Amino acid sequence: MDGPVESIYNLIPTVVEQPPKPPRYNSKFKPMVKNEIKQDRSPNKTMGPAKVAVPTPGDFLKKRSKEPVLGEQTRFAHLDDSSKKPPVPRHDERPLLGIRTNKNFINTNAVENIMSVPKKPLPKFVDTRRGDNNFLEPSGLVPKYTKKGDYGQTPEYLKKRNAEVKRAQEEYDAYIRERMKLGAMQQLSLEEREEIINGLKKNWEELHHQYQGLSVVTDTAPKKNRKERMEAEMKQLERDIELIEKHKIIYIGNN
Amino acid sequence: MGSDDVNKLELLSTIGFNGDVNGGLIIHPDREHMVYPLGCTVIVRNLNTNTQEFLTGHTNNVSCLTVSKSGKYLASGQVTHMGFKADIIVWDYKARSLLYRLTLHKVKVEALAFSPNELYLVSLGGQDDGSVVAWNLKTAQAVCGSPAAVQSAGTTFTVKYANNSDDVFITAGDGTLRVWELDLQNRKIRPTECNMGQLKRIVKCVEVDDQDNFFYCGTTSGDILKINMKTKLVANFGPTKGKFSQGIADIRILKNGDLLIGAGDGTVALVKGTSAKYSLVKPPRKVSGSVTSVALRGEGHQFFVGTKMSQIFRFNFTDFKEELIMSAHYQPVLDIAFPSGCSALYATCSGNDIRVWHTQTSRERLRITVPNMICHAIEFMEDGHSLITAWNDGKIRAFLPESGKLLYIINNAHNSGVTAIATTSDCQRIISGGGEGQVRVWDISTNPLTQKLKEAMKEHKSTVTCIKVMSDNKQCVTASSDGTCIIWDLLKFTRFQMVLANTLFQCVCYHPTNHQIITSGTDRKVAYWDTFDGSQIREVDGSMSGSINGMDISPDGKQLITGGDDKLVKIWDYNCGTETDIGEGHSGNITRVKMCPNLQFAVSVSTDGAILLWKYPCRE
Repeated sequence: MDGPVESIYNLIPTVVEQPPKPPRYNSKFKPMVKNEIKQDRSPNKTMGPAKVAVPTPGDFLKKRSKEPVLGEQTRFAHLDDSSKKPPVPRHDERPLLGIRTNKNFINTNAVENIMSVPKKPLPKFVDTRRGDNNFLEPSGLVPKYTKKGDYGQTPEYLKKRNAEVKRAQEEYDAYIRERMKLGAMQQLSLEEREEIINGLKKNWEELHHQYQGLSVVTDTAPKKNRKERMEAEMKQLERDIELIEKHKIIYIGNN
Repeated sequence: MGSDDVNKLELLSTIGFNGDVNGGLIIHPDREHMVYPLGCTVIVRNLNTNTQEFLTGHTNNVSCLTVSKSGKYLASGQVTHMGFKADIIVWDYKARSLLYRLTLHKVKVEALAFSPNELYLVSLGGQDDGSVVAWNLKTAQAVCGSPAAVQSAGTTFTVKYANNSDDVFITAGDGTLRVWELDLQNRKIRPTECNMGQLKRIVKCVEVDDQDNFFYCGTTSGDILKINMKTKLVANFGPTKGKFSQGIADIRILKNGDLLIGAGDGTVALVKGTSAKYSLVKPPRKVSGSVTSVALRGEGHQFFVGTKMSQIFRFNFTDFKEELIMSAHYQPVLDIAFPSGCSALYATCSGNDIRVWHTQTSRERLRITVPNMICHAIEFMEDGHSLITAWNDGKIRAFLPESGKLLYIINNAHNSGVTAIATTSDCQRIISGGGEGQVRVWDISTNPLTQKLKEAMKEHKSTVTCIKVMSDNKQCVTASSDGTCIIWDLLKFTRFQMVLANTLFQCVCYHPTNHQIITSGTDRKVAYWDTFDGSQIREVDGSMSGSINGMDISPDGKQLITGGDDKLVKIWDYNCGTETDIGEGHSGNITRVKMCPNLQFAVSVSTDGAILLWKYPCRE
């Protein structure tokens, strides 16, 4: 066993006599230091603290003073608000009662009537013995439309339309002439036209002949396809024939 | 043996606190006394002078304790055995006397609460009783009673009165939270169930605020429920994160609305009561053992915390630091030992703890802990340089007495635990007894430090309970629960004499002259035997009821002291065989008694963890 030997008797708590506290230390130089401080009040510093304006007590940082200032708010108004009727009175609104005008209706009415020019009676005609009458003007008994200034002349709008048609035709003719001059166009002669029509008709007839020879029952897909194709071809030929027969003069562009 | 010539032993102090009682530590409203339970007594202790007064009257352990608002009354409830009725005792605080004994609850009284104007007392029965009863304090009659909770709810744990009304109180527990209204005219109490919605909590403590607007419930989940008293709805609950580990055991409301919380893991925290977050106001402190009660002194400038480890801490509110003011054993105390020739200190062992106490102040001087082991016996070496202890793991451990460091271990000293130990006065030998019945003698040398088995003596058939060595170290006597006491020759290591009796011997003592031994045991007899031939000299009835577990003889051989299951400490005249003094005060079975070497004190210890210090009667 090394180290100091432990003993149970050391566990008995010993009451340690606390020595009385010495009085608080007081320096003997204290009055001297006090006196020195009083004497040597920094004689070279005579200016004192800088004189600046004393901050005013009302100058403190105010609440919301750092927030941006916004323009005055305007009420939103629709564009048509001025033309709108005033709103219907609310249920709790009382109408103004007991308002009376100062206008003297008797006098003003009398004066108005005295000053007014009497109305001319409209012309009428009587058609029975008993004196039943009608207005003359809408009855058609008095000539009205034959007395109009443009009576019996071509209306203005027709004149304008005819002039327009004429001008367009002239323009077209001029264009064709110019193209012909340039040699860019060639007119189909009447023989050639007849020949084309006949050829087309012949083709149509051949096709029609074949078509008539088709079996009555189209029960298979190839038959149906063939019939449909022939119908389409015939229709195309009919359209071509019609196109050529419709126009007498046919120009053919060279390119 | 008349009762006239028997004196009462003066109790000097007790060391003990039953920390298991929830809210058991109370600071009396006079701000000068602390009230706490110890076994079946209630102790009133002056905080300034540390003097103790005892309120005795319960027949079993105190299970709850409360004080009225003005401090005029104290009330305590107890547990009993299954099938019996448990008493509530209302104490007159000023006179320190029993005022009423109210008996209605079965098996256990779970909680108590006084009404604010001290008109009524509400008591709550335990799990087997499950009823709440309102008592009129003027007439000491029950006003009415009712089942505390619906059939489907669990145990109700706590009851609390409103602060301003004598008609409103709250009960709370496992899945039940009720606000009751007392209707005195019709003798009815009517509950209103608080709607907790989806929350499932087990409430352990309730605290009502000053205006009776809200009350706070501490739960085993470690959060606080704040309930509106008017609407009976949960106002808020929290903290949602950082709940208090192992549940909240006690809550106290301070004047500024903050809550003091004692948690099961020993945390003592101050949280903000006004916000739903219950954020910590100050860094929490952690004390050893789980907190079971928090008690405010006055408005709370100082508060006290009691833990399950039977410790009481004092907190100063401003610096929020704990200071241990009282510690006690929390398990049965099994042995006492005085250093030789010294009365100023003694050591006790309990469970895994060995503590050394200062006699005068009852303050703990040293604590040695060996986790998960049980120390059966302790003995100081004669020179005071080591403390020899016997443990249930079959080891003998020797500790240094100042630092508490381990000096040496004798491994496998006994294969079924060491149960008794003794040392010789020359500090050369240890004699140990084991649970299997062997008595072994060990040679100890200090330089070099070695321990050697000298001899194993196998005569006893059962546990060796006590060993005493003769003062000349030539003989020793061992008592065993096989009904024999054997006197051994320590020179030849043989049996010298044997004593037989139809008892389980618990203790044996040498008379200082070494001519006689005295034994006692479960037959409640104190027997005197001659050491030379083993013949019985005398037999005295030591106790009327329980077995005698502890015995000691004074160094002059004139007096002996016994203690046992009758919970009485008795001092006997050795020659006359009569009781001279009786000490009442223990609430558990006494396990050991010892006289101090200078005959100033006697110390007795009991199974409830209490250590009682008696003034030794001075006689010429």
